[in-house]
Amino acid sequence: MPKAGRKVMNAVTAYLYISPAMLIFGVFILLPTLFVVYISVYRWNFLNASTSAYVGLANYRHLLTSSAFWSSLWVTLYFVVLTVPSGVLLSLGIAALLMANFPGRGLTRLGVFAPYATPLVATTIIWIWMFNPQFGLLNNILHAVGLPTPGWLQSPHWAMPSVSVYTLWHSIGFDVIIFMAGLATVPRDLVEAASIEGANAWQRFWRVVWPLISPTTLFVVVISTIEALKAFTQFFTMTAGGPLGATTTTSYLLYEYAFVFYRTGEAAALTVVYFLITAAIALLQFRLSRGRVFYG
Amino acid sequence: MVANRLRSTARWLLSAAALMALGGGVVLAQSKPVTITFAEAMSSGTQKPTLDELVQAFEKANPNIHVQLLVQPNYGTLYTKTLAMVAAGTPPTMAQAYEGWAQRYADSKAIVPLGSYIYGPHGLSTSELSSLWPPLIADMKLTDGKFWMMPFNKSDFVVFYNASWLAKNNLSVPTTWTQFAKVAEQVTSTANKTWGLSIDPGSKTGPANGTYMFVAMLHAFGGHVMQGDKVAWDSDAGVKALTLLANLVAQGAVKIGTNYPGQTALGAERSPFDVSTIAGYPYEVAAVGGKFDLKVAPMPAGPAGPGNVLQGTNLVMFAKATTAQRDAAWALMKFLIQPAQTALWAEKTGYLPVTRDALPLMSDYLKTHPYQQIAAQSLANAQPTPSLPHSEEMFGYLSVAMQQVFLNHADPKTALTQAAQQAQALVGAP
Repeated sequence: MPKAGRKVMNAVTAYLYISPAMLIFGVFILLPTLFVVYISVYRWNFLNASTSAYVGLANYRHLLTSSAFWSSLWVTLYFVVLTVPSGVLLSLGIAALLMANFPGRGLTRLGVFAPYATPLVATTIIWIWMFNPQFGLLNNILHAVGLPTPGWLQSPHWAMPSVSVYTLWHSIGFDVIIFMAGLATVPRDLVEAASIEGANAWQRFWRVVWPLISPTTLFVVVISTIEALKAFTQFFTMTAGGPLGATTTTSYLLYEYAFVFYRTGEAAALTVVYFLITAAIALLQFRLSRGRVFYG
Repeated sequence: MVANRLRSTARWLLSAAALMALGGGVVLAQSKPVTITFAEAMSSGTQKPTLDELVQAFEKANPNIHVQLLVQPNYGTLYTKTLAMVAAGTPPTMAQAYEGWAQRYADSKAIVPLGSYIYGPHGLSTSELSSLWPPLIADMKLTDGKFWMMPFNKSDFVVFYNASWLAKNNLSVPTTWTQFAKVAEQVTSTANKTWGLSIDPGSKTGPANGTYMFVAMLHAFGGHVMQGDKVAWDSDAGVKALTLLANLVAQGAVKIGTNYPGQTALGAERSPFDVSTIAGYPYEVAAVGGKFDLKVAPMPAGPAGPGNVLQGTNLVMFAKATTAQRDAAWALMKFLIQPAQTALWAEKTGYLPVTRDALPLMSDYLKTHPYQQIAAQSLANAQPTPSLPHSEEMFGYLSVAMQQVFLNHADPKTALTQAAQQAQALVGAP
């Protein structure tokens, strides 16, 4: 067989090998994504597509001029600020503690990771009761010690911190495991060498351990940010976006548009915009981390 | 009591048998077997076995019609699945629907009007139609004034109260909202951790009982949700009703919560009242657990008299069904509103009988379950929810207005006006 013919055959064979994956990707990811972009320029009636009308960029204009959209972005940012930095710091601290040898370490590790393995809906219901202003555990304790009892999930000021506390409780186990994996890769001799050179605990961490686990930290920051940006279930079950929109994140607003108010075209436009925002944030995080992350 | 129950059961069984013998609800002789699908959410408690029983009776009377029940766990799932079925081009033959859902289906040409069936050769007689509670007849229509729905599981608001508590403290059952406010204030005590009532206005995406309770108050104060095409809840009546509630919230006599907070507080003996629909009676009984004497009273009246809101769903018929399926679906719809059937449905599920002719069949039952009579008679004062495709979203704005007043101490007039303006933008929107 001539060389050119063999090359074509190889290419065909290669494409045949990847075609099942391409087919699944195309049918379940690519085509629906393109379809979302398509319907975002329509006033789309999913019950009877023939009654849908082309509206150009009107859905985008309406979205970008609506206070609900901008408010949801601020609420989302607030949630990210409340959960990501504290989550990263807490999980790193807990991971460092769990790397030490102490009796009951296995059980403690299990206890830290267990919430992550529990179903969101079931555990949010328990936390809703804990946050209940009249009958909940938290306010009973606060009342018993004479402290003021907030409305928690029913208070516009406390609702987001409450959901954030739940989110941290639920998700921190995953980040701890990732950090523990990162800490386990730090060569012991480097830390010991620093110790011999007279470095104290903080210096050993900041100068030796931290740079070595920077790829892990970047991974945790990026994943936590993306998770926070797309968080939905806890808002759906704990607050339904309220009170007074205090927990209406962009993900929740998207649900409202798409599946409560059935404004399919606007929901599609919001999806496209939110995808671009999420992608931009992830890209920015990678850009900012250049020169600060060491891959060994 | 057992004898009464037996007599009552025998009475509706005889009535049902007589109806079947006369072809009650059987509107046509299907020459060929036909299967219809009925998407519904009557899945909890006694609802499922009772609907199964009624469908079996219907199939027995109509041997060529097979009814396939597509039972869903709740209304949210029912709506989502029905929408998905319509979007996929395979809708059920008939389904339960709230007024707003029906309007959306009708706007998308997914359902058919029922006027030709109601007034057709196998339709409802004049006496059958006039026996339906008047608000239900209004509720069967959409904004175009045509009949699109048949009533099914209907309920309205009542006041559940702790009769032992009121008797012990020498307090009367309030019959007006002013009296209600007074009693609620009297029972409120920070030291004892007691208050009058807990309500849940819901959220923008899911207005809950608290919002609809306010709508009942609005009617009692002489106001309306809509006047013609205009959202009118920001009238003086609305402001007065909301101000009364806001004052009670400010005094701690009414508390705001979620997940049926009124039921929880009543059951825990923290509040003597819960305002909810009569369909919630079994759940109230479960929450109380026999700890005290639970009783039911009609909704308090306002300056304009009694006010209530119609709750529950209707039945709609989908356009994709064949003529034979539509005829069979109509036969089932008609069967379900016959006095014997609706009486059985009411006695076993706690929903209300949709025709007044059912009440004599339930006389023995009503003696032992007076709350059903109270709720049924309240239907005369109940107003239907406006049938607008965005009604859920509109009431969501009202829910937010209530929260702004209760939580942020906003001025009731300003909050209601703003919500009315937001809701108005949705009237007539596609």
